[in-house]
Amino acid sequence: MAGFEYVRPTTLEGAVAELSMRGDTAVAVAGATDLWVNIRSGKMKPEAVVSLRGIAGLDVLTPERADGGGLTIGAMTPHGKVEDSAWTAAHFPALQQGCAGLGSRQVRNVGTVGGNICNAAPCADSATALMLFDATLVIQGPGGLRELPLGEFFVGPGMTRLLKGELLKEIRVPDPGANTFSRYIKHTRRRGVELAMMSVGVRLTLEDDMTTVKAARISLGVCAPTPTCADRAQDMLVGKPLTREAVEAAALVAAEDSQVRDSWRGKAWYRREMIRVLVPRAVEQSGAYVAAGLAPALDDAGSAASSGASAPGAPTPDDPGASSGATEGGA
Amino acid sequence: MAGMDKKNIHFVVNGDPVSALVGPEWTLLRALRDGVGLTGTKEGCGAGECGACTVLVDGTAVNSCLFPALEAEGRSVTTVEGLTQADGNLHPLQKAFIEYGAVQCGFCTPGALMSSKALLDQNPDPSAHQIKVALAGNLCRCTGYTQIVEAVQAAAAEMNGTAAAAVGNGSGAAASGAGATGAASDTALAGVTGAVDQPSHASTSGEVTA
Ligand SMILES: Cc1cc2nc3c(=O)[nH]c(=O)nc-3n(C[C@H](O)[C@H](O)[C@H](O)COP(=O)(O)OP(=O)(O)OC[C@H]3O[C@@H](n4cnc5c(N)ncnc54)[C@H](O)[C@@H]3O)c2cc1C
Ligand code: FES
Ligand code: FES
Repeated sequence: MAGFEYVRPTTLEGAVAELSMRGDTAVAVAGATDLWVNIRSGKMKPEAVVSLRGIAGLDVLTPERADGGGLTIGAMTPHGKVEDSAWTAAHFPALQQGCAGLGSRQVRNVGTVGGNICNAAPCADSATALMLFDATLVIQGPGGLRELPLGEFFVGPGMTRLLKGELLKEIRVPDPGANTFSRYIKHTRRRGVELAMMSVGVRLTLEDDMTTVKAARISLGVCAPTPTCADRAQDMLVGKPLTREAVEAAALVAAEDSQVRDSWRGKAWYRREMIRVLVPRAVEQSGAYVAAGLAPALDDAGSAASSGASAPGAPTPDDPGASSGATEGGA
Repeated sequence: MAGMDKKNIHFVVNGDPVSALVGPEWTLLRALRDGVGLTGTKEGCGAGECGACTVLVDGTAVNSCLFPALEAEGRSVTTVEGLTQADGNLHPLQKAFIEYGAVQCGFCTPGALMSSKALLDQNPDPSAHQIKVALAGNLCRCTGYTQIVEAVQAAAAEMNGTAAAAVGNGSGAAASGAGATGAASDTALAGVTGAVDQPSHASTSGEVTA
């Protein structure tokens, strides 16, 4: 690995200045779990690396209120912090699951949510989970701060709308409101450390009648060149009563609309089929059917009368896994 | 360019303040092995996949192969060499790894021990599942993992003072008695104490009787 200059500014503005001054020859580094691999393999040959680790105040997870509301995530917050956050598990379960299922504990201890978003991989787990919650990115540039919806941030694999010198400062997740249920399922061939073959997130917010769908999001990883939302499918659910039939119909549309491809990790037809399978499963596991009276309530141990792999509504202490290993995932 | 020159970093390793002259592209792994001279921490993949290089930075497990050395400035790092207690006794995790046959070739052992240490520091009484999650980033080609999980459970029980119960239920203890003192002990002890690269150390532990 060739030498480069290592710059360690202590303010975000300073980091933006260092990057702006150097143009394309410099690259920002957060937890380095993506970047260092690319530098080591020779895929990237920066002349300067601008570390964000010396900047105070970016490693934060700030709930709006103790009992709910929105959430602000600093760009330098490692996934392990979100994984360990009981508040996040209670109020944004899919986000906690997306972070807990990423890489290994060692990778989660240093790899950041901001790095996951800015790296813009089609399989980015925390980014795909965040798509469910209409997150907004707060971006620091040479001219000050600007905001951009996460849904508009990705351009293609590894490509974003960040301009030269710009850095992600924080992610703002608005209050999804009462009666919200969410679940993120990462589909992998094994349960251990692996990138997603594909992933599915769902988020449903019900009206107070606990039947009508007020808001619906279906996010998909590795089903397009970037993390996406299945717009047409999620719109089908809104304003109508929640039913299993409606969810299955939406899942079919999400599968049809997807831009799945063949890769060595999985074939397009299989990925498409798994969208159809996992969207309903994610809704089931989100607890929304229970809330709507369409499934029996879970007992204290977290297992429903119906049992089976699809039973737990929320991950139990013994199964933090957002992962659905392909071996147990057989529809 | 001035910035490309090597820099002296000052940090704490296993309780001792140390300094090392490192280049900007150096990893913490290289700083530990080539700079500080502690070769217990191993390099497997160099890409975050295998966990052989796991050390604790300020108490959390990280892959030292992906940790820029310059970021270690001012931090406290614990390596496998730091597990051995002040009186020279092995850490309960090290003892259990030997006793339960959780060490074969020993290459993954320093990393597996450090992930286990981070887990027990945070959660003194983990379930088998929690152990598997905490060690999912530590690949082992030899043991089949079962013995590692048993060893971590046994060490937890030992540290919690509930050892009898744990030892009683393990087939691992009986099966691996030979492994701890016999055939495997040469590499086993070397892996557990991080001494694989130090032949003198390794041979002193090689009381091969089997
Ligand atoms: C063994 C292993 C397993 C992994 N498993 C997974 C997995 O299961 N799922 C998954 O999604 N990812 C996985 N990853 C990838 C990686 O860990 C994540 O994408 C992580 O979130 C990257 O964050 P980082 O802080 O390490 O980013 P870095 O590597 O430091 O940076 C990544 C990119 O983002 C840019 N960047 C970082 N922060 C900012 C910022 N604040 N503003 C602007 N640009 C920024 C950098 O310039 C760089 O281009 C894995 C990696 C490894 C090594
Ligand atoms: S050598 Fe660091 S994870 Fe393999
Ligand atoms: S890799 Fe040989 S003992 Fe684990």
